[in-house]
Amino acid sequence: MKYTLSFTLNGREVDVLVKPNDTLLDVLREKLQVLSPKRGCDTGDCGACTVLLDGEPVRSCLTIAMTAAGREVKTIEAFTSRDGKLHPLQEAFHEHGATQCGFCTPGMLLSSISLLEKNPKPSRDEIVEAISGNLCRCGAYLEVIEAIEAVANGEGKE
Amino acid sequence: MKNMQYFAPRGVDEALDYLAEYGEKATVLAGGTDLVPRVNYYELLPDIILYVGGIGTDYIREEDGKLAIGAGTTWSSLITNPFVKARARVLAEAAAKGGCTAIRNAATIGGNIVNASPAADLVAALLALDAEVVIRSAKGKRTAALEGFFTGPGATVLDPDELVTEIRVPFVKGNGVFLKLGRRRAMTLSVVNTAVRIRLEGTVCKEARIAVGSMGPTPIRCVEAEKVVTGQPVDPALLDTCAETAITETSPVDDKRASAWYRKKAGRNLVRRALVLAAGIEG
Repeated sequence: MKYTLSFTLNGREVDVLVKPNDTLLDVLREKLQVLSPKRGCDTGDCGACTVLLDGEPVRSCLTIAMTAAGREVKTIEAFTSRDGKLHPLQEAFHEHGATQCGFCTPGMLLSSISLLEKNPKPSRDEIVEAISGNLCRCGAYLEVIEAIEAVANGEGKE
Repeated sequence: MKNMQYFAPRGVDEALDYLAEYGEKATVLAGGTDLVPRVNYYELLPDIILYVGGIGTDYIREEDGKLAIGAGTTWSSLITNPFVKARARVLAEAAAKGGCTAIRNAATIGGNIVNASPAADLVAALLALDAEVVIRSAKGKRTAALEGFFTGPGATVLDPDELVTEIRVPFVKGNGVFLKLGRRRAMTLSVVNTAVRIRLEGTVCKEARIAVGSMGPTPIRCVEAEKVVTGQPVDPALLDTCAETAITETSPVDDKRASAWYRKKAGRNLVRRALVLAAGIEG
């Protein structure tokens, strides 16, 4: 059976036909062509598919799409303004070389954004904990941590 | 392709009506962190997905001398909730060591119980806290001790028309400790976990609970080991014997995370370390 799913995606109301076993990741990537959440493992281990659901990071690959009905979903696109101005964390990731292949970056950024929204001055341990569910195969963890620390310390670009 | 259906009831009674009607055909979905990987890899193709995230079981309150935790409460809520911190800190500690933020934002306490993994971290903590589960169906309601709820890996005493709606944790005394050994620190299932609770009067142990996970077909409460310490003055030698005894009550298997041999060795040390910490002695 197919159902009409309605939710808010990056501030815009969307309606889409989905199957009960479609995940939010399936719907974002394959039906709505939002390609920033990546399909890494489809088991919740890698974090590349992380999105914000009602403001909190979740695995879109573990979220049955229908459960997002009426809720607010944000991908990294929500944090870049229309004129192309990047989020301070995106700037900092760029400055510090925190992206190598870039596959983990959207998820890594959303985990980082969520951390700093709740805890603007995190300790290094808190940063490590916040990104512990986002695997980076290039191993750019130190650069990611530095980038987050830089924004927390107000060293980001204006 | 089969004609899979999806229902999202808006209350417990409505959910129970669906279960009464569809029973085994309905697969209950809560946070999805254990269930959805199996759906994604076609190990499980449900006829009906019954989503219980919207039935109002996300709550934590104090009630009749107990902590009443709705089955739909997320691990993240357990970590931050002041009632849990005050009354059942060991449960918050166990929750904090599971998965990562994004997993804990979705995963529920009820899901961790009903999924019935021998490695379930919250279950070890709940066993140390003498927790009970409230089980409801359209026909009625019963309460069962968590100990005895599990009948094997992935198997419980639940009937197909039943739903775990609440977990009750009595206001127990004593010092609780949860420790987990995984293959790494984050995003890892337990190779061994343990939760212990010890109530001391002076140096004498008046009450003890010792639970271990990933050490047999179900999470295990080590009652013989509890007897070893109860009524005794606590010292390092006694805790050695206690930890040894706990491991004799387990039956771990070799799997991809660790061998049974390793689990026994590491499990003994983990239990001992937890006992030392809970008793607050020099180990």
